[in-house]
Amino acid sequence: MELSDREILHVARLARLRLTADELQPLRQDLNRVLDYVSQLQRLDLDGVEPTLHAANDQAPLREDVEAASLSVAEATKNGPKVAQHMFLVPRIMEGGSDGE
Amino acid sequence: MASKPLWTYEAHTLHDLFCEGAVSAEEIVTSHLARIRAVDASVGAFLYVDEAGAVAEARRQDQWSAAERRERPLSGVPVAVKDNIVTQGMPTTAGSKILGEFVSPYDATVVVKLKQAGAVIIGKTNLDEFAMGSSTEHSALAETRNPWDLSRVPGGSSGGSAAAVAAQLVPLALGSDTGGSIRQPSSYCGIVGMKPTYGRVSRYGLIAFASSLDQIGPMARSIRDARLLYHVIQGADRHDSTALSSAGDRTVSGGPWRIGVPREYFGEGMDAGVRRLTEAALERLRGMGHALVEISLPHTSYAIATYYLIAPAEASSNLSRFDGVRYGMRAEGRDLLTMYEKTRDEGFGAEVKRRILLGTHALSAGYYDAYYLTAQKVRTLIRQDFDKAFQEVDFIVTPTTPDVAFRRGERDDDPIKMYLGDVYTVTANLAGIPGLSMPAGVADGLPVGLQWLAPGLADTALFDAAATLEPQMEPMVWPMGVEA
Amino acid sequence: MSQYQVIIGLEVHVELKTATKLFCGCSAAFGGDPNTHTCPVCLGMPGVLPVINQEAIRLAVRSALALNCTVRAVSKFDRKQYFYPDLPKAYQISQYDQPLGEYGWVTIRGADDAAKKIGVRRVHVEEDAGKLNHLGQRLGDATGSLVDLNRAGVPLIEIVSEPDLRSAEEARLYLTELRAVLSYLDVSDLRMEEGSMRCDANVSLRPEGFAGSLEDLPRVEIKNVNSIRNVQRGIEYEVIRQTELLAAGERIVKETRGFDDATGKTYSQRSKEEANDYRYFPEPDLPPLVLDPQWIADMKRGLPALPDAIRADLVGRGIPEKDAEVLVLDREAYEYWREATALFQDERLVTNWMLSDLSRLINARGESFANSGVRPEGLVELLGLIQAGTLSGRMAKEVLEAMFESGQTASQVVKDKGLSQITDAGAIQSIVDQVLHDNPAVVQDFLSGKEKALAFMVGQVMKQTRGQAKPDLVNQLLRDSIQKNYAASQD
Repeated sequence: MELSDREILHVARLARLRLTADELQPLRQDLNRVLDYVSQLQRLDLDGVEPTLHAANDQAPLREDVEAASLSVAEATKNGPKVAQHMFLVPRIMEGGSDGE
Repeated sequence: MASKPLWTYEAHTLHDLFCEGAVSAEEIVTSHLARIRAVDASVGAFLYVDEAGAVAEARRQDQWSAAERRERPLSGVPVAVKDNIVTQGMPTTAGSKILGEFVSPYDATVVVKLKQAGAVIIGKTNLDEFAMGSSTEHSALAETRNPWDLSRVPGGSSGGSAAAVAAQLVPLALGSDTGGSIRQPSSYCGIVGMKPTYGRVSRYGLIAFASSLDQIGPMARSIRDARLLYHVIQGADRHDSTALSSAGDRTVSGGPWRIGVPREYFGEGMDAGVRRLTEAALERLRGMGHALVEISLPHTSYAIATYYLIAPAEASSNLSRFDGVRYGMRAEGRDLLTMYEKTRDEGFGAEVKRRILLGTHALSAGYYDAYYLTAQKVRTLIRQDFDKAFQEVDFIVTPTTPDVAFRRGERDDDPIKMYLGDVYTVTANLAGIPGLSMPAGVADGLPVGLQWLAPGLADTALFDAAATLEPQMEPMVWPMGVEA
Repeated sequence: MSQYQVIIGLEVHVELKTATKLFCGCSAAFGGDPNTHTCPVCLGMPGVLPVINQEAIRLAVRSALALNCTVRAVSKFDRKQYFYPDLPKAYQISQYDQPLGEYGWVTIRGADDAAKKIGVRRVHVEEDAGKLNHLGQRLGDATGSLVDLNRAGVPLIEIVSEPDLRSAEEARLYLTELRAVLSYLDVSDLRMEEGSMRCDANVSLRPEGFAGSLEDLPRVEIKNVNSIRNVQRGIEYEVIRQTELLAAGERIVKETRGFDDATGKTYSQRSKEEANDYRYFPEPDLPPLVLDPQWIADMKRGLPALPDAIRADLVGRGIPEKDAEVLVLDREAYEYWREATALFQDERLVTNWMLSDLSRLINARGESFANSGVRPEGLVELLGLIQAGTLSGRMAKEVLEAMFESGQTASQVVKDKGLSQITDAGAIQSIVDQVLHDNPAVVQDFLSGKEKALAFMVGQVMKQTRGQAKPDLVNQLLRDSIQKNYAASQD
């Protein structure tokens, strides 16, 4: 199950990572080596084996519906790279992406 | 007043001296800060040292009565915190550029507990970016060197904490362990490091790498100190749904024990010095009257493959929040998608990107069953291996790593080789059981670690067991003059 | 046009009425100054972890049970991953393959009155996203957006129907019924305009003879429509659009479309994005949600009367079906009705007054049955005066209006205005005589068989008594007088 450049670029888009042409080649090599290595798991007979979906066997604790202190707006937004009117400012949402540049 | 410098003392001794009034907290803290100033330029353990804050806290504690000092098990004791654990008063970087100038608006639960226990938090230690690595070379911010040999890595990802403790910059440090990130650097730096049972220590405030594997744990120069720190940080937490609430500690008889020696952990590729010192330690255990039992953990060889699917998958999800919107750095773009991609491209290092891509792929449509789900099934087999083994034996003892600290730059280009170094440690994370690394001695000037594994929830028993071996071992002679 | 069958499935999001958010203790109240209901958890800060709000689970279970779902004793949470500025962690904690409730249904009744069961595929719990304020008229030409995370993390249930709906009208009926059911449960404010109830509609056309899976049909999703009426309009438009495309030999593209209230049209929203790949996987930060089967059973027993049962009850009591429907669909009206009928025996009279005059006055004043100034006791007092003959229906209308205006009780109004019905025949007889005397032609009309002529004369008498004469009595007196004084001379 070798990954092609196209597939890697698709995965990169899903992960919102931009890969430059010179990053792509070594990454493809590394990823395919790792995927080749992990393919050994396919050798195991896993019929009837339950996946470990949760690390602790416990059940989720439930919380009372009681209000706790929120942060002040200043605290909530103090780390914001761009803040206006106490809100996080982001660039225009429609269209684009790095492949247009 | 003690004759040796205060920075050479262990935590419990410092605490006692402080409680007795023999030394002030300020003296203790100042001594450690002086040691940091003298040595850390060459070791590079810290990313941030809060001198003013630490001294202010020490002065505050100096006002406390003897009773107030005693009440708090870590009063007067300087502690370092791995920089993927958030702290209100200091920056938190996770060793990455992407967090930018981030200062957390809240303290991690373990930090709250440290403060309640009277610990003086000295600063934040270096790590592989987002704890992804085994050498601390993948920190985007600083280089950390092994105090035993500055040309070598301290291990990782908690390399800053391990180096800080080994170089006696602090007696105690917190690390985090996802696939060996406490135990491996502890082994490389000759200290004690422990990964608790999954859920024993709250993860609230630990910047998540792989949520189902991550645990915070103690690092120290003795088992006694490590246990002291463990008892401060462990326990249920209403902020962490996976922190174990009702389950009590599992006890193990006082011995003699049946000690399992898994044949899969003594195969090829093990360094000769590691083999020699591990076997010597096992002999000592036999000499103490314990029975050594050869056991098999048959799915061990699948552990790395399993780990390198589950951990990146979870990481790819956990690291999605670093998107340049609410905190951290942002690279400007003319539209949202460009902003996202540029921010994450510039903000993340190569190893992090590699794992995000791998993990995203393992979860993507058409691949989930083959990769993620398959890995979680193999994880079940690995857990069952341990369940079975612990029906036969009380503890398992292995080397912590197949090797000693390697030279910086040596394993830059080969991810598989780097990943294989985690072979003895990842199994405990996959199985959720506690593991502890203690020094087994020094081979050719470099420390070797001995790993103890115990059944889930037998954390205290694990400390007790390892503590019986500690006096039987050669005392460690810590590297004193650490000069570049 | 009829060679396609319309296939519609609805996804309805309902915000649960809890004090706090699903995974943190921040207020879940609507509105608030931007980012004032936020904390590290709902801001998606590094290191935070979710802890489930038990009230959200209780309300979700209640909803699932009321929709006839089977509730899982063990369900789990999963991460649904996508990047968007209103989604702080870049994943939504939701439920994927083990939802809280499954296999339910909602019964709808169309114009032909045949009941049809619409399957409810699943009801699951998830967290809401924040709100984006676009700097510019529309998203398309915005220069940027401001992110407010007050709503991020508010508990939602998503109710997914089976693709059982066959027309825009059925979709409307389904949504109306669904909202009615939920309204009796006290689980949500259900305000579509505030976004506490939102609907996405999946619309596709199945060619006659198509035997494949419905999943394979190209499906258009109309997103976030803000009223039931607009869901209906959007679907109507979409059916025409798709039919025309197919007629022109074109393909339907699987896409997400918005609905424009002003034009009544849908428009394409996502033109360039890659196919969604949400990369669901089990939320490692939350162990399984385990519910006690006994508790679930108790919850089911504790459900209030729901629309189907209420409807049957009302019709059984002789309330016309149409009226029963109006009462059932408006929980406040139904509760008003219950209070009123508990005090007053004639349930049909209560119904008539509520659904005509009271409704009109309430609507005109922008009130509702719950907060109307005229409470059920007040209405009942008024109806009592009618029943006792003190007020005519016409007078009662006037009194009711005055009650709204002044806040007075019916008897106070009657007293103040001197409005009580004249029931004394002697007091009316002279007016009757006068009217007969003044309108000989009308009397002749009546005698020649024109019944309407009598109504005119009744009206004249009522006018002269300012409406206070009892109409039956006037009627009787007129007939008697004509009989006595005019009919005889005919012979």
